[in-house]
Amino acid sequence: MIIRNPVIEKELKTKMRGWKSPALITGYLAFLVLVIYLYFLASGQLEKYSMQYFNPRVALNSYYFLASFQFGVLLLIVPALTGGAICGERERQTLDLLLCTNFPAISIITGKLIVSIAHILLLLIASLPVLGSVFLFGGIGVSDILLLSLFYIVTAFMVGSLGIFYSTIFKKTITSIIVTYITLLVLLFGTLIIMFVWGSVNRIQNFPRIEHLYAFLFSNPIFGFVSIMEGLNGGYGISTIFGIGYGSTQLANTWVKPWMINAAFDILVTIVLVLISTRRIKPVKGISKLKNKEGKKQFVFYSSRTKG
Amino acid sequence: MLVIENLVKQYGKFKAVDNLSMEIKEEQIYGFVGANGAGKTTTMKIIAGLLKATSGKVALGGVDIEANPGRVKSRIGYMPDFFGVYDDLKVSEYMDFYAGVYGIAKSKRKELSDQLIELVNLQDKTDVYVDTLSRGMKQRLCLARSLIHDPELLILDEPASGLDPGSRVEMKEILKELRKMGKTVLISSHILSELSEMCTSIGIIDRGKMVASGPVADIIKKASYNRVIRIKVTGSPEMAVKFLKEQPSVGSISEASDYIDADFNGNEQELASILRGMIYANISVISFMELEKNLESAFMSIIRKNGGNSEKIGNGENCESLGNYENNENYEKQIKGGADYDYKKSGN
Repeated sequence: MIIRNPVIEKELKTKMRGWKSPALITGYLAFLVLVIYLYFLASGQLEKYSMQYFNPRVALNSYYFLASFQFGVLLLIVPALTGGAICGERERQTLDLLLCTNFPAISIITGKLIVSIAHILLLLIASLPVLGSVFLFGGIGVSDILLLSLFYIVTAFMVGSLGIFYSTIFKKTITSIIVTYITLLVLLFGTLIIMFVWGSVNRIQNFPRIEHLYAFLFSNPIFGFVSIMEGLNGGYGISTIFGIGYGSTQLANTWVKPWMINAAFDILVTIVLVLISTRRIKPVKGISKLKNKEGKKQFVFYSSRTKG
Repeated sequence: MLVIENLVKQYGKFKAVDNLSMEIKEEQIYGFVGANGAGKTTTMKIIAGLLKATSGKVALGGVDIEANPGRVKSRIGYMPDFFGVYDDLKVSEYMDFYAGVYGIAKSKRKELSDQLIELVNLQDKTDVYVDTLSRGMKQRLCLARSLIHDPELLILDEPASGLDPGSRVEMKEILKELRKMGKTVLISSHILSELSEMCTSIGIIDRGKMVASGPVADIIKKASYNRVIRIKVTGSPEMAVKFLKEQPSVGSISEASDYIDADFNGNEQELASILRGMIYANISVISFMELEKNLESAFMSIIRKNGGNSEKIGNGENCESLGNYENNENYEKQIKGGADYDYKKSGN
């Protein structure tokens, strides 16, 4: 379904053709390298004759910064790429040409989803060596970067499936993209706001505690991301910027980490939305589960069919 | 081969297809004729599995489209009236993509797409980007695409729409070639003269209902028992219409922008007396002629009869049923095979 999907083959071929994609990747990586360089420069770590002691915290912080930046890029770009996946086909009047074939609708949806997020995933994967530069200073392991990459992928699929889902509902690409962003904002900040409003209304002491975090933020990608970052740092952290520091110190001692819950939520949402989107684009649902094999059997070259 | 029984497609209270039944036998070239909004495209989309019918049955070779859409789709090639192409693909890549979509083995794709590209006479364009092709070439490419999986039934919705005369001739030649291949074709077109040349049977659809169906010669014969007189007058046609309505041998009357068509069922003397009467009545007749019996006149006659209300037509009122085409200049262009017909304007 995925490996030999002509939709993926076509999109990858056309998107990687020309100079734009290599230029985009080069520019993105150059930007990340520049950020790291400036970060180290600003921290006085690159002065050749400096007597300043080496501070590993600088490398770790630069890793946090890059990881957060990439996560932000992912959340920002994926809705724009996926929001027009099906709408775009409709606007180009090519969707009917796909739907009138016996090509499975689920392959159209998964193909579009994979292709739409393939670009951003390519950027993230290409940037792994840049992230890996912190290995020089210690504090981060290969497994940490792999875990982060996996979390990126799972999140990208969830956000992407949201975009695809809305693009099967709305006729215009712009509407679909805007609604996807709004849904994402609700997940990112709406859940936080609801949690704090709920906490202040109920006047709960030591708020938020771990159970509150799980109850309100299980669907929040930032919650999962923060927990991965904190795992590297023994509970110290960037999560305090969201005011969830108390709960997060409790989290350091729990086995089931928020990113696990969040990733499970993302996977579930992705599966459900892909299935709903598939059903939505199918014009005639069908009641038979018979798999069609006739395409290959019927194949006869045209010259042999010409009568006259 | 294709059997449609009591097909209904309803949008709210509006019935786009109303209890339509038809049958297309193997190797037939079946022309689907009707005005804009008559229900041709809707019916074709239902057959192609792109729309769900409200009720009724569509079966191809005994297989129900509702029950087994996948099985039926693999046997149908569909070319819509409006379609897009992937601009960033070359002609050969475009064909390869759809061959992949239909699950054709990679080893066979090139040979097959080369044959089809040759069939539609695009062999010197294989490495050209699709967006650089002319409208006619894109139409031909789309036709080649619809043949890529060797379908038994080909559904062509207005394949010659918007084409210049040269491209229309090319398209006609390709369709003749398909006929030789033994393909069953369901084709809709506004260019009735072309349909009558290439179709073995036709079906005339009006407001979602099949009003006539059968071999072209039979349709013309059956529909043309009334002669149609086309009259052109200078100035306002109101007097002429009023005069014609008073004649017992004149049936329904339809009024276009520059002529009046009247169904006539009298003899030669009565015909001569109508002309004489019009001149005596000071109606400035500049042309008075009987239309040749062909598919066009048969179609007009059938539609007029089906619409039924000659009062409304005669008064020039835009009666709901016939207003779509009877008083529509675009429609006249379609019937006459005008390549410059503006579909967007008509809202089809």
